[in-house]
Amino acid sequence: MTINTFVAGKGLLYRFDPRAKLLTVILLCIWFFLPVSLVGLYTVVGLLVLVGALNTGFSHIAKTFLSILPMLLFMVLFMPFNVRDGESLISIGSFTLITTEGLEQATRLAGRFIGITYACTLLFATTVMQEVMLALRSFHLPYKAGLVVTLAFTYIPFIAESFSQIAESHSLREAESDQGKRIVQRLKDLVPTLTSALVVALRSIPNLAMSLELRGFGSEQKRSSFKDLSSYRHPFTHTLLSCIMLVVFWVLFRVQ
Amino acid sequence: MQQNRNALKVAMVAVLTAVVVVFTLVVRIPTAKGYLNLCDVAICFIAFTFGPWSAFIAAGLGTALADLISGYAQWAPISFVVHGVEGLLIALIVRQKGNEAVSFVRKLLAGLVCIATVSLGYFALSALFISTVSVAAAEIPGNIAQSGVGFVLGLGVASAVKKAYPPVRSLSW
Repeated sequence: MTINTFVAGKGLLYRFDPRAKLLTVILLCIWFFLPVSLVGLYTVVGLLVLVGALNTGFSHIAKTFLSILPMLLFMVLFMPFNVRDGESLISIGSFTLITTEGLEQATRLAGRFIGITYACTLLFATTVMQEVMLALRSFHLPYKAGLVVTLAFTYIPFIAESFSQIAESHSLREAESDQGKRIVQRLKDLVPTLTSALVVALRSIPNLAMSLELRGFGSEQKRSSFKDLSSYRHPFTHTLLSCIMLVVFWVLFRVQ
Repeated sequence: MQQNRNALKVAMVAVLTAVVVVFTLVVRIPTAKGYLNLCDVAICFIAFTFGPWSAFIAAGLGTALADLISGYAQWAPISFVVHGVEGLLIALIVRQKGNEAVSFVRKLLAGLVCIATVSLGYFALSALFISTVSVAAAEIPGNIAQSGVGFVLGLGVASAVKKAYPPVRSLSW
Protein backbone atom coordinates (compact mmCIF):
# COMPACT_ATOMS: atom_id res chain seq x y z
CA MET A 1 0.00 0.00 0.00
CA THR A 2 1.47 3.35 -1.05
CA ILE A 3 0.87 6.23 1.33
CA ASN A 4 3.32 8.62 -0.30
CA THR A 5 1.75 11.43 -2.36
CA PHE A 6 5.07 13.25 -2.91
CA VAL A 7 6.39 13.43 -6.49
CA ALA A 8 10.17 13.98 -6.49
CA GLY A 9 11.33 17.12 -8.34
CA LYS A 10 13.44 20.27 -8.18
CA GLY A 11 11.07 22.98 -9.45
CA LEU A 12 10.22 26.32 -7.88
CA LEU A 13 7.31 24.91 -5.88
CA TYR A 14 9.63 22.45 -4.13
CA ARG A 15 11.75 25.37 -2.86
CA PHE A 16 8.70 27.40 -1.81
CA ASP A 17 8.13 27.57 1.95
CA PRO A 18 5.59 24.91 3.05
CA ARG A 19 3.85 27.39 5.38
CA ALA A 20 3.32 29.79 2.46
CA LYS A 21 2.16 26.90 0.22
CA LEU A 22 -0.39 25.76 2.78
CA LEU A 23 -1.71 29.30 3.20
CA THR A 24 -1.85 29.78 -0.58
CA VAL A 25 -3.93 26.62 -1.04
CA ILE A 26 -6.40 27.69 1.66
CA LEU A 27 -6.67 31.22 0.19
CA LEU A 28 -6.95 29.82 -3.33
CA CYS A 29 -9.84 27.54 -2.27
CA ILE A 30 -11.62 30.62 -0.85
CA TRP A 31 -10.75 32.64 -3.98
CA PHE A 32 -12.51 30.09 -6.22
CA PHE A 33 -15.78 30.89 -4.43
CA LEU A 34 -15.49 34.67 -4.95
CA PRO A 35 -17.61 36.27 -7.69
CA VAL A 36 -14.98 36.34 -10.44
CA SER A 37 -15.45 36.33 -14.21
CA LEU A 38 -15.40 33.01 -16.06
CA VAL A 39 -12.33 34.11 -18.05
CA GLY A 40 -10.57 35.04 -14.81
CA LEU A 41 -11.46 31.72 -13.19
CA TYR A 42 -10.09 29.69 -16.10
CA THR A 43 -6.99 31.94 -16.35
CA VAL A 44 -6.12 31.15 -12.73
CA VAL A 45 -6.88 27.43 -13.26
CA GLY A 46 -4.69 27.49 -16.41
CA LEU A 47 -1.84 29.19 -14.52
CA LEU A 48 -2.15 26.64 -11.74
CA VAL A 49 -1.99 23.74 -14.22
CA LEU A 50 0.99 25.37 -15.97
CA VAL A 51 2.88 25.81 -12.69
CA GLY A 52 2.02 22.20 -11.83
CA ALA A 53 3.23 20.94 -15.21
CA LEU A 54 6.55 22.77 -14.81
CA ASN A 55 7.05 21.27 -11.37
CA THR A 56 5.58 17.77 -11.32
CA GLY A 57 5.32 16.98 -15.05
CA PHE A 58 2.43 16.22 -17.39
CA SER A 59 1.99 12.61 -16.32
CA HIS A 60 1.05 13.74 -12.80
CA ILE A 61 -1.51 16.17 -14.26
CA ALA A 62 -2.97 13.41 -16.43
CA LYS A 63 -3.23 11.09 -13.41
CA THR A 64 -5.00 13.76 -11.35
CA PHE A 65 -7.47 14.60 -14.11
CA LEU A 66 -8.22 10.94 -14.82
CA SER A 67 -9.14 10.42 -11.16
CA ILE A 68 -11.69 13.28 -11.18
CA LEU A 69 -12.93 12.71 -14.74
CA PRO A 70 -16.07 10.63 -13.88
CA MET A 71 -17.34 13.23 -11.40
CA LEU A 72 -16.42 16.09 -13.73
CA LEU A 73 -18.31 14.48 -16.63
CA PHE A 74 -21.34 13.85 -14.45
CA MET A 75 -21.29 17.49 -13.32
CA VAL A 76 -20.91 18.96 -16.80
CA LEU A 77 -23.46 16.63 -18.41
CA PHE A 78 -26.26 17.00 -15.85
CA MET A 79 -25.87 20.51 -14.49
CA PRO A 80 -27.11 22.38 -17.61
CA PHE A 81 -30.41 20.42 -17.51
CA ASN A 82 -31.15 21.48 -13.91
CA VAL A 83 -30.76 25.23 -14.31
CA ARG A 84 -33.73 26.74 -16.15
CA ASP A 85 -32.82 30.46 -15.97
CA GLY A 86 -31.46 32.46 -18.92
CA GLU A 87 -32.04 32.27 -22.65
CA SER A 88 -32.74 28.96 -24.33
CA LEU A 89 -29.74 27.45 -26.13
CA ILE A 90 -31.00 24.04 -27.18
CA SER A 91 -34.67 23.09 -27.21
CA ILE A 92 -36.81 20.22 -28.51
CA GLY A 93 -40.16 21.62 -29.62
CA SER A 94 -41.44 23.81 -26.76
CA PHE A 95 -39.20 22.10 -24.18
CA THR A 96 -35.97 23.94 -23.36
CA LEU A 97 -33.10 21.51 -22.89
CA ILE A 98 -30.14 23.77 -22.10
CA THR A 99 -30.08 27.46 -21.18
CA THR A 100 -27.20 29.99 -21.26
CA GLU A 101 -27.32 30.27 -17.48
CA GLY A 102 -27.17 26.48 -17.08
CA LEU A 103 -24.18 26.20 -19.38
CA GLU A 104 -22.37 29.04 -17.62
CA GLN A 105 -22.95 27.55 -14.17
CA ALA A 106 -21.75 24.13 -15.32
CA THR A 107 -18.60 25.65 -16.81
CA ARG A 108 -17.94 27.71 -13.65
CA LEU A 109 -18.48 24.71 -11.40
CA ALA A 110 -16.17 22.51 -13.47
CA GLY A 111 -13.44 25.20 -13.36
CA ARG A 112 -13.81 25.58 -9.60
CA PHE A 113 -13.76 21.82 -9.08
CA ILE A 114 -10.61 21.40 -11.20
CA GLY A 115 -8.93 24.36 -9.48
CA ILE A 116 -9.60 23.19 -5.91
CA THR A 117 -8.69 19.58 -6.69
CA TYR A 118 -5.48 20.48 -8.47
CA ALA A 119 -4.37 23.07 -5.86
CA CYS A 120 -4.74 20.49 -3.06
CA THR A 121 -3.07 17.75 -5.11
CA LEU A 122 -0.16 20.02 -6.01
CA LEU A 123 0.44 20.89 -2.35
CA PHE A 124 0.86 17.24 -1.40
CA ALA A 125 2.79 16.37 -4.59
CA THR A 126 5.45 19.04 -3.93
CA THR A 127 5.65 18.87 -0.13
CA VAL A 128 6.67 15.82 1.90
CA MET A 129 4.11 14.90 4.54
CA GLN A 130 6.58 15.63 7.34
CA GLU A 131 6.90 19.24 6.14
CA VAL A 132 3.11 19.59 5.87
CA MET A 133 2.95 18.55 9.52
CA LEU A 134 5.68 21.04 10.44
CA ALA A 135 3.83 23.78 8.58
CA LEU A 136 0.64 22.91 10.49
CA ARG A 137 2.66 22.97 13.73
CA SER A 138 3.87 26.47 12.93
CA PHE A 139 0.18 27.43 12.59
CA HIS A 140 -0.22 26.20 16.20
CA LEU A 141 -1.53 22.68 15.56
CA PRO A 142 -1.31 21.07 19.05
CA TYR A 143 1.71 18.82 19.69
CA LYS A 144 -0.51 15.82 20.50
CA ALA A 145 -2.47 16.18 17.25
CA GLY A 146 0.76 16.28 15.22
CA LEU A 147 2.04 13.23 17.08
CA VAL A 148 -1.20 11.29 16.43
CA VAL A 149 -0.98 11.95 12.68
CA THR A 150 2.71 11.02 12.41
CA LEU A 151 2.17 7.85 14.45
CA ALA A 152 -0.86 6.96 12.30
CA PHE A 153 1.27 7.29 9.16
CA THR A 154 3.84 4.96 10.74
CA TYR A 155 1.20 2.36 11.55
CA ILE A 156 -0.75 2.38 8.26
CA PRO A 157 1.69 0.13 6.33
CA PHE A 158 1.97 -2.27 9.30
CA ILE A 159 -1.81 -2.66 9.66
CA ALA A 160 -2.32 -2.89 5.87
CA GLU A 161 0.32 -5.64 5.65
CA SER A 162 -1.23 -7.56 8.58
CA PHE A 163 -4.66 -7.26 6.97
CA SER A 164 -3.41 -8.63 3.62
CA GLN A 165 -1.69 -11.59 5.31
CA ILE A 166 -4.77 -12.40 7.41
CA ALA A 167 -7.07 -12.10 4.36
CA GLU A 168 -4.81 -14.48 2.40
CA SER A 169 -4.72 -17.01 5.26
CA HIS A 170 -8.50 -16.95 5.57
CA SER A 171 -9.03 -17.34 1.81
CA LEU A 172 -6.67 -20.35 1.77
CA ARG A 173 -8.83 -22.07 4.41
CA GLU A 174 -12.01 -21.63 2.35
CA ALA A 175 -13.18 -24.43 0.07
CA GLU A 176 -14.67 -22.24 -2.67
CA SER A 177 -13.37 -19.03 -4.21
CA ASP A 178 -15.02 -15.58 -3.85
CA GLN A 179 -16.03 -15.47 -7.54
CA GLY A 180 -19.36 -17.32 -7.38
CA LYS A 181 -20.50 -15.92 -4.03
CA ARG A 182 -23.28 -13.40 -3.51
CA ILE A 183 -22.30 -10.04 -2.01
CA VAL A 184 -24.05 -10.78 1.33
CA GLN A 185 -22.06 -13.98 1.74
CA ARG A 186 -18.85 -12.17 0.80
CA LEU A 187 -19.55 -9.52 3.46
CA LYS A 188 -20.30 -12.21 6.08
CA ASP A 189 -17.04 -13.95 5.23
CA LEU A 190 -15.19 -10.70 5.86
CA VAL A 191 -16.12 -10.60 9.58
CA PRO A 192 -13.48 -13.14 10.78
CA THR A 193 -10.79 -11.43 8.67
CA LEU A 194 -11.69 -7.96 9.97
CA THR A 195 -11.84 -9.25 13.55
CA SER A 196 -8.40 -10.83 13.33
CA ALA A 197 -6.92 -7.70 11.71
CA LEU A 198 -8.43 -5.49 14.41
CA VAL A 199 -7.15 -7.69 17.23
CA VAL A 200 -3.63 -7.53 15.75
CA ALA A 201 -3.87 -3.72 15.51
CA LEU A 202 -5.31 -3.34 19.03
CA ARG A 203 -2.56 -5.48 20.54
CA SER A 204 -0.02 -2.91 19.37
CA ILE A 205 -1.65 -0.08 21.42
CA PRO A 206 -0.12 -0.97 24.84
CA ASN A 207 3.35 -1.35 23.27
CA LEU A 208 3.08 2.00 21.53
CA ALA A 209 1.84 3.66 24.74
CA MET A 210 4.78 2.17 26.64
CA SER A 211 7.23 3.42 23.99
CA LEU A 212 5.76 6.93 24.30
CA GLU A 213 6.07 6.85 28.10
CA LEU A 214 9.68 5.67 27.87
CA ARG A 215 10.41 8.55 25.48
CA GLY A 216 9.16 10.92 28.19
CA PHE A 217 5.85 11.77 26.57
CA GLY A 218 3.71 13.93 28.83
CA SER A 219 6.49 14.79 31.30
CA GLU A 220 7.17 18.41 32.25
CA GLN A 221 10.55 18.49 30.51
CA LYS A 222 10.14 17.69 26.84
CA ARG A 223 12.59 15.07 25.65
CA SER A 224 11.55 15.06 22.04
CA SER A 225 10.26 17.74 19.70
CA PHE A 226 9.49 18.18 16.02
CA LYS A 227 12.16 19.48 13.64
CA ASP A 228 11.75 23.02 12.37
CA LEU A 229 11.51 24.47 8.86
CA SER A 230 14.61 26.69 9.18
CA SER A 231 16.05 25.34 5.89
CA TYR A 232 13.50 27.53 4.06
CA ARG A 233 15.03 31.01 4.14
CA HIS A 234 12.25 33.32 3.02
CA PRO A 235 8.98 32.32 4.70
CA PHE A 236 7.82 35.94 5.04
CA THR A 237 8.56 36.79 1.37
CA HIS A 238 6.83 33.62 0.16
CA THR A 239 3.75 34.23 2.30
CA LEU A 240 3.57 37.87 1.20
CA LEU A 241 4.00 36.84 -2.43
CA SER A 242 1.14 34.30 -2.15
CA CYS A 243 -1.22 36.84 -0.61
CA ILE A 244 -0.33 39.61 -3.12
CA MET A 245 -0.80 37.20 -6.05
CA LEU A 246 -4.32 36.25 -4.94
CA VAL A 247 -5.31 39.89 -4.28
CA VAL A 248 -4.06 40.80 -7.79
CA PHE A 249 -6.12 37.96 -9.31
CA TRP A 250 -9.16 39.17 -7.36
CA VAL A 251 -8.73 42.80 -8.53
CA LEU A 252 -8.15 41.70 -12.14
CA PHE A 253 -10.95 39.19 -12.47
CA ARG A 254 -13.74 40.29 -10.12
CA VAL A 255 -17.16 40.77 -11.60
CA GLN A 256 -17.77 44.56 -11.88
CA MET B 1 -0.58 8.22 36.34
CA GLN B 2 -2.13 11.01 34.22
CA GLN B 3 1.00 10.90 32.02
CA ASN B 4 0.47 7.14 31.44
CA ARG B 5 -3.18 7.70 30.56
CA ASN B 6 -2.23 10.47 28.08
CA ALA B 7 0.30 8.23 26.36
CA LEU B 8 -2.33 5.48 26.11
CA LYS B 9 -4.88 7.89 24.62
CA VAL B 10 -2.42 9.16 22.00
CA ALA B 11 -1.34 5.60 21.12
CA MET B 12 -4.94 4.44 20.91
CA VAL B 13 -6.15 7.28 18.71
CA ALA B 14 -3.10 6.93 16.41
CA VAL B 15 -3.62 3.18 15.90
CA LEU B 16 -7.40 3.58 15.45
CA THR B 17 -6.81 6.35 12.89
CA ALA B 18 -4.50 4.02 10.98
CA VAL B 19 -7.19 1.29 11.16
CA VAL B 20 -9.77 3.64 9.62
CA VAL B 21 -7.33 4.56 6.81
CA VAL B 22 -6.61 0.89 6.05
CA PHE B 23 -10.31 -0.09 6.09
CA THR B 24 -11.04 2.82 3.73
CA LEU B 25 -8.25 2.21 1.25
CA VAL B 26 -7.41 -1.49 1.31
CA VAL B 27 -10.72 -3.25 1.75
CA ARG B 28 -12.88 -2.63 -1.30
CA ILE B 29 -15.82 -4.74 -2.36
CA PRO B 30 -16.73 -4.39 -6.04
CA THR B 31 -20.40 -3.54 -6.73
CA ALA B 32 -22.35 -2.81 -9.92
CA LYS B 33 -21.73 0.96 -9.60
CA GLY B 34 -18.15 0.91 -8.35
CA TYR B 35 -16.73 0.03 -4.94
CA LEU B 36 -17.93 -0.15 -1.36
CA ASN B 37 -15.26 0.72 1.16
CA LEU B 38 -15.39 -0.37 4.74
CA CYS B 39 -14.60 2.88 6.58
CA ASP B 40 -18.01 2.78 8.27
CA VAL B 41 -17.25 -0.69 9.67
CA ALA B 42 -14.14 0.70 11.39
CA ILE B 43 -16.01 3.82 12.56
CA CYS B 44 -18.93 1.84 14.02
CA PHE B 45 -16.54 -0.61 15.66
CA ILE B 46 -14.62 2.29 17.28
CA ALA B 47 -17.82 4.06 18.35
CA PHE B 48 -19.19 0.85 19.94
CA THR B 49 -15.93 -0.05 21.66
CA PHE B 50 -13.93 3.08 22.50
CA GLY B 51 -16.37 5.90 23.22
CA PRO B 52 -17.32 9.24 21.64
CA TRP B 53 -14.03 11.17 21.61
CA SER B 54 -11.89 8.34 20.21
CA ALA B 55 -14.61 7.76 17.61
CA PHE B 56 -14.80 11.43 16.64
CA ILE B 57 -11.04 11.93 16.25
CA ALA B 58 -10.16 8.56 14.70
CA ALA B 59 -13.12 8.57 12.29
CA GLY B 60 -12.65 12.17 11.15
CA LEU B 61 -8.89 12.08 10.93
CA GLY B 62 -8.74 8.57 9.40
CA THR B 63 -11.13 9.27 6.54
CA ALA B 64 -9.54 12.70 5.90
CA LEU B 65 -6.08 11.11 5.71
CA ALA B 66 -7.44 8.40 3.39
CA ASP B 67 -8.75 11.14 1.07
CA LEU B 68 -5.39 12.93 1.14
CA ILE B 69 -3.48 9.73 0.38
CA SER B 70 -5.77 8.64 -2.45
CA GLY B 71 -5.61 12.03 -4.21
CA TYR B 72 -9.05 13.40 -3.28
CA ALA B 73 -7.72 16.12 -0.98
CA GLN B 74 -10.70 18.40 -1.66
CA TRP B 75 -12.97 15.86 0.08
CA ALA B 76 -10.77 15.66 3.21
CA PRO B 77 -12.43 18.48 5.23
CA ILE B 78 -15.91 17.16 4.32
CA SER B 79 -14.97 13.60 5.28
CA PHE B 80 -13.46 14.86 8.54
CA VAL B 81 -16.70 16.58 9.55
CA VAL B 82 -19.17 13.95 8.28
CA HIS B 83 -17.43 10.83 9.56
CA GLY B 84 -16.25 12.55 12.76
CA VAL B 85 -19.83 13.50 13.61
CA GLU B 86 -21.01 10.02 12.55
CA GLY B 87 -18.62 8.36 15.04
CA LEU B 88 -19.43 10.83 17.80
CA LEU B 89 -23.21 10.46 17.47
CA ILE B 90 -23.17 6.65 17.29
CA ALA B 91 -20.91 6.46 20.35
CA LEU B 92 -23.10 8.87 22.32
CA ILE B 93 -26.24 6.86 21.49
CA VAL B 94 -24.81 3.46 22.43
CA ARG B 95 -22.74 4.64 25.42
CA GLN B 96 -23.44 2.46 28.49
CA LYS B 97 -22.54 2.60 32.15
CA GLY B 98 -20.83 -0.63 33.26
CA ASN B 99 -21.22 -3.89 31.34
CA GLU B 100 -24.93 -3.58 30.43
CA ALA B 101 -25.87 -4.72 26.94
CA VAL B 102 -27.02 -2.05 24.47
CA SER B 103 -30.76 -2.38 23.80
CA PHE B 104 -32.03 -3.19 20.30
CA VAL B 105 -33.88 0.16 20.09
CA ARG B 106 -30.68 2.10 20.74
CA LYS B 107 -28.81 0.02 18.19
CA LEU B 108 -31.53 0.69 15.65
CA LEU B 109 -31.46 4.42 16.44
CA ALA B 110 -27.67 4.45 16.13
CA GLY B 111 -27.96 2.71 12.74
CA LEU B 112 -30.46 5.24 11.46
CA VAL B 113 -28.35 8.14 12.72
CA CYS B 114 -25.28 6.61 11.05
CA ILE B 115 -27.04 6.34 7.68
CA ALA B 116 -28.64 9.79 7.96
CA THR B 117 -25.40 11.51 8.99
CA VAL B 118 -23.36 10.04 6.15
CA SER B 119 -25.90 10.44 3.36
CA LEU B 120 -27.24 13.88 4.37
CA GLY B 121 -23.87 15.18 5.53
CA TYR B 122 -22.15 14.33 2.24
CA PHE B 123 -25.15 15.60 0.28
CA ALA B 124 -25.27 18.98 2.03
CA LEU B 125 -21.55 19.70 2.24
CA SER B 126 -20.74 18.41 -1.24
CA ALA B 127 -23.62 20.40 -2.80
CA LEU B 128 -22.45 23.49 -0.92
CA PHE B 129 -18.69 23.34 -1.54
CA ILE B 130 -17.74 20.90 -4.30
CA SER B 131 -20.45 19.90 -6.74
CA THR B 132 -24.13 20.67 -7.30
CA VAL B 133 -27.37 19.54 -5.69
CA SER B 134 -28.11 17.10 -8.56
CA VAL B 135 -24.61 15.55 -8.53
CA ALA B 136 -24.61 15.36 -4.72
CA ALA B 137 -28.11 13.80 -4.75
CA ALA B 138 -26.92 11.06 -7.13
CA GLU B 139 -24.47 9.89 -4.46
CA ILE B 140 -27.10 9.43 -1.75
CA PRO B 141 -28.08 5.78 -2.59
CA GLY B 142 -24.42 4.68 -2.60
CA ASN B 143 -23.78 6.39 0.71
CA ILE B 144 -26.90 4.84 2.26
CA ALA B 145 -25.83 1.36 1.12
CA GLN B 146 -22.25 1.83 2.32
CA SER B 147 -23.13 3.24 5.74
CA GLY B 148 -25.92 0.68 6.28
CA VAL B 149 -23.68 -2.26 5.43
CA GLY B 150 -20.87 -0.66 7.44
CA PHE B 151 -23.05 -0.29 10.52
CA VAL B 152 -24.26 -3.92 10.48
CA LEU B 153 -20.75 -5.28 9.92
CA GLY B 154 -19.32 -2.88 12.52
CA LEU B 155 -21.81 -4.18 15.08
CA GLY B 156 -20.81 -7.80 14.35
CA VAL B 157 -17.10 -7.03 14.37
CA ALA B 158 -17.35 -5.05 17.66
CA SER B 159 -18.94 -7.97 19.49
CA ALA B 160 -16.48 -10.47 17.93
CA VAL B 161 -13.46 -8.36 18.93
CA LYS B 162 -14.73 -7.97 22.52
CA LYS B 163 -14.94 -11.79 22.74
CA ALA B 164 -11.57 -12.39 21.06
CA TYR B 165 -9.66 -9.66 22.91
CA PRO B 166 -11.35 -8.83 26.27
CA PRO B 167 -8.72 -6.20 27.38
CA VAL B 168 -10.23 -3.91 24.73
CA ARG B 169 -13.02 -3.02 27.23
CA SER B 170 -10.53 -1.18 29.45
CA LEU B 171 -9.40 1.15 26.66
CA SER B 172 -12.60 3.22 26.35
CA TRP B 173 -12.56 6.94 27.33
